[in-house]
Amino acid sequence: MQRRDFFKKLGTVTAVAAVMPAMSFAAEAPKPVSPNKMDFKTAVDTITGGKTPVKSNKVKLKVPEIAENGAVVPVTVTVDSPMTDSNYVKAIHILNGKNSNTRCIDVYLTPANGKAMFATRIKLGGTQNVTALVELSDGTFLIASQSVKVTIGGCG
Amino acid sequence: MNERKSLIKIKPKRYKDGEVVKVSFMVMHPMDTGMAKDKKTKEIIPAKYINSVKFNYNGKEITHMIVWESLSVNPVFTMYMKINGKGKLTVTYTDNTGEVHEKSKKIKPKG
Repeated sequence: MQRRDFFKKLGTVTAVAAVMPAMSFAAEAPKPVSPNKMDFKTAVDTITGGKTPVKSNKVKLKVPEIAENGAVVPVTVTVDSPMTDSNYVKAIHILNGKNSNTRCIDVYLTPANGKAMFATRIKLGGTQNVTALVELSDGTFLIASQSVKVTIGGCG
Repeated sequence: MNERKSLIKIKPKRYKDGEVVKVSFMVMHPMDTGMAKDKKTKEIIPAKYINSVKFNYNGKEITHMIVWESLSVNPVFTMYMKINGKGKLTVTYTDNTGEVHEKSKKIKPKG
């Protein structure tokens, strides 16, 4: 028993060392952590206050299927809304799936915008989902997501 | 840095009162996340990113944005705006290191 356990442990250690040859077993330089670190689920809950967003065709999310350069990924969100004082899009939130900080931008609109649309370019560290989380003036939340394949990661 | 290059674009260039036009605001800014290393010095480049943008049209704030570091370098912000009289569109933006800037564009509807 003892010898088997010993070789098992040796095997694990060897496997780990083989996978991480660049790292020493002593102190490793800590990876930088974003001060704004927030995972996707927490970000959604923070924005909706715990409400469940509803998947909706009214939200049109346009992102490339494949992004050559993860540093500049175009995103356009358009929402079918009359944008009147009693019925308008209050906010368009754009989120990513796997960056350290999954929030990209929170855009607060008013009826003076005339149309519910927002476009920008974002950084994606690797292949992941991009999500449009939309808040309506009646307090409900709509959501639409799409996966973006990233060939060269964009976060440096 | 006192000056930052920025631009407000309105499409179409000629518009009537009541028309809904496309407004793009572009600004030169590194949008550093604070996670990337300088390739030469190997030191972490400190976070420096635009964190808020506000659009004011004739004294009324029509749109405001909370911006995070995941936006691309030299960010672009595009939205729509309903033309409601002659006046001025002013964009005020800040970054996480305390920079505050303002950029304006005259609004002149024809007809």
